[in-house]
Amino acid sequence: MTNLITVNDVGFSYKSYDSDPVQAIEHVSFEVAAGEYVAILGRNGSGKSTLAKLLNGLELPEYGNVVTAGYDTTDDRMIFEIRRNCGMVFQNPDNQIVGTTVEEDVAFGPENLGVPLPELAERVTSSLTAVGLREKYDTSPSALSGGQKQKLAIAGVLAMRPSCLVLDEATAMLDPVSREELLALVLDLRATQGLTVINITHHMEEVLQADKVLVMDNGHILLTGTPRDIFCNVKEIRRIGLDVPMHTGIVHCLAEGLKQSLIGQEYVECEAAKTVALKLLKEASEDNLLVAAAHLRKNAGRKGYGFDSLEDAATRDVVIEAENLSYIYDGAGITTQALHDISFKVYRGECFGIMGHTGSGKSTLIQHLNGLLRKQKGDLKVLSYDLSRSGDIRTLRRHVGLLFQYPEHQLFAETCREDIAYGPTQLGWSETDVAASVDAAAAIVGLDDAVLNKSPFELSGGQKRRVALAGILSMEPDILILDEPAAGLDPAGRDEIRGYIEKLRAFDITVILVSHNMDELAYLADRILVLNGGRAEICAVPDEIFSRTDILQRCDLSVPRTVGFLQQFIDVLPSLNIYQYDERAAALALVEAMQHNLTAERGTQ
Amino acid sequence: MQLTLGHYYHGNSVLHRLDPRIKIIVVVLFMVVIFLLNHPIAIAAFGIFLFVMIAVAKVPLKSILRSVRAVLFIAIFAFIVNILTVDAGVVLWRLGSLTLSTGGLWNGFKLALRLFYLVVTSSLFLTLTTTPIKIADGLEKLLKPLERLRFPAHELAMMMSIALRFVPTLVEETDKIMKAQSSRGANYDTGNIFQKAKGMVSMLVPLFVSSFKRADDLAIAMEARCYQGGTGRTKLHPLILKTSDTLFFIGALVFIGILLTAEYMLPPLVFAGGI
Repeated sequence: MTNLITVNDVGFSYKSYDSDPVQAIEHVSFEVAAGEYVAILGRNGSGKSTLAKLLNGLELPEYGNVVTAGYDTTDDRMIFEIRRNCGMVFQNPDNQIVGTTVEEDVAFGPENLGVPLPELAERVTSSLTAVGLREKYDTSPSALSGGQKQKLAIAGVLAMRPSCLVLDEATAMLDPVSREELLALVLDLRATQGLTVINITHHMEEVLQADKVLVMDNGHILLTGTPRDIFCNVKEIRRIGLDVPMHTGIVHCLAEGLKQSLIGQEYVECEAAKTVALKLLKEASEDNLLVAAAHLRKNAGRKGYGFDSLEDAATRDVVIEAENLSYIYDGAGITTQALHDISFKVYRGECFGIMGHTGSGKSTLIQHLNGLLRKQKGDLKVLSYDLSRSGDIRTLRRHVGLLFQYPEHQLFAETCREDIAYGPTQLGWSETDVAASVDAAAAIVGLDDAVLNKSPFELSGGQKRRVALAGILSMEPDILILDEPAAGLDPAGRDEIRGYIEKLRAFDITVILVSHNMDELAYLADRILVLNGGRAEICAVPDEIFSRTDILQRCDLSVPRTVGFLQQFIDVLPSLNIYQYDERAAALALVEAMQHNLTAERGTQ
Repeated sequence: MQLTLGHYYHGNSVLHRLDPRIKIIVVVLFMVVIFLLNHPIAIAAFGIFLFVMIAVAKVPLKSILRSVRAVLFIAIFAFIVNILTVDAGVVLWRLGSLTLSTGGLWNGFKLALRLFYLVVTSSLFLTLTTTPIKIADGLEKLLKPLERLRFPAHELAMMMSIALRFVPTLVEETDKIMKAQSSRGANYDTGNIFQKAKGMVSMLVPLFVSSFKRADDLAIAMEARCYQGGTGRTKLHPLILKTSDTLFFIGALVFIGILLTAEYMLPPLVFAGGI
């Protein structure tokens, strides 16, 4: 096989006029063979996007050289041939669409290359067909969903007849369903058109099917190998802020508890992980299991907001009560019913999850809760406020904080401190009160003075999000609504945010958490409301929801990955409680079920 | 969110399908002609022509009236000023230096009518029946010869089309930011001017920051797709003059010729006071 891309000892740094150059890439070398699927995995800021731009000459190496499709990227005359060969799809769907209609956008690349008609039209049609957007050829791109926009971007690349497709975090801003769809499309294109695929991502699920994985950290390539080789280094991967597949994590946890070594074992494939787990359990003595259970129990378990049963919940105050809430959007003659007769209650101090796909009405519902949308039909009581009076809505907003997706986009002040102080200042609090609330909010999300005095625009993505969260917390809300608080963050950033949400429990704040991420919701939420097409399907504790396969199927939702893995052990370990939502708890459940098996065996003897 | 700029009315009439270059040239010519016409018969003929065109374009009268409404105030103002200041023809009424004469009435009426003709012509031929992107395309082609004088025709058209592409995106974003800041106690509706301006800062700064980021991203994405300016570019929908375009153009020229002939050959009507 010939190499399509050869990166030879490349370095690159960003220079700015007022500060020292920032080294983004150092001594990176690797090769990509034609037809290969290569994944580049790394945290935000690890240099992976810079690496992508070096591949097709959008940036030129400071030292070393990059040879793509047979040409050195520093060769000015061939630069467009290189870019044609090595097409790129970027992170933000909105920021890469040029055309005012779908077909015009697909034509943009070949137009630039001077492809004549009728070939141009033929290329546009075939590319749109390949990504399944042919019927939408005349649509305005702004009318497409995020996933469709990314497919459009892929069609735009395909129309240039490339040999290689580079996805630069192309799935980072998509919901899980669209993300899976996009990856499936790319892998299908690889199979049918022989495309070479380079996928730059921090989602490790996307990496499992790759031929080769490069793990980047701090501008270096830390690990290279097949997904199997890479993910067996659980500790190393986690050290650099990435994650491993859930089942790999569970087996790793189990081995740690049983004090067994996994060196030389393969447990990245799901089936293999199951075999290894069973072997570990069967080889363990009863004493081993006892020790492991004690070890795992120390830190295991869902940290729910602390009521054990619904009866307990019923004794608490009701902070939100919705009855038969309906809402209809009426825009340009097209009416859409976003909510149908939704009824639910939220109790003080709980973490209430709202789950559903894009378009299920989640965002309409949460905008009702702080009066951004006025209720049309039904009853809604939030705390003690009447949501039909506008004076009440202003005071209500102080008590009900709402943080939208990508909240860092709302930062505007000169320093983080001023930004966090914006809410309380608007409320007319005294200067000392404002300062105290800012300090308290900053402390919750772990921002120190050095960060507070910086401009929010100097910070990294994860830090910005913490500032935005503090900007709501400073208003000392009783209810905090978080819409996809971890969207777009890498695994370490996601865990950080998850930690802050858990921390809020100590402040008796009721949290309403909206998420696509089943694992996150199952782990954090006390109860979950499932929305589907604007209707409430069920509102119950996670264990109950994940046992209702009929509802999950109807709503096209899957169980959390922990539950999915544990389900496979039921034949062997009939007493296994599969409703576990983190890897330690899952490992513990396996150990306990094995203990139960042994006791039962002794009983029959 | 779908936003139609300039109230484009979706349709597939002869007027919709005309080449934008022809439409732009014809509108410019008509605008000159409108100001040359004085004779009542010529003016009436142009009005009839516009009504016929509205029927051909199958554009609802409501959208035409909407564009007329935009200049209604100026038209009334011009009408009143004219009837009170122009002294010609038969004087009907006089108060000091203010006179009401048939000439003044006709003059004011003519001026108002010209304004209406202008907006109806431009909206009927351009904004209502031509998508903004086609107007940009047409302008690019028409201005192409000026590129020799270093006039950036292609860049101008590209800017227009990108701006159009991002209007809905920015509208959506503005809405999102306003909602986010409202949740933090921002108030965009009430308060004095100072408070309102201060409130706007919390909306405008994030909007600018994100627009710059978008511009940056878009530039990189365009480069990655081999954009290198207008040279050597082909077009998916190139502007090609059809026979119908040529016929329309010739028809328009003939019509203008007839109008101008009528204007200068017909004897003046008495009530117009010889103006």
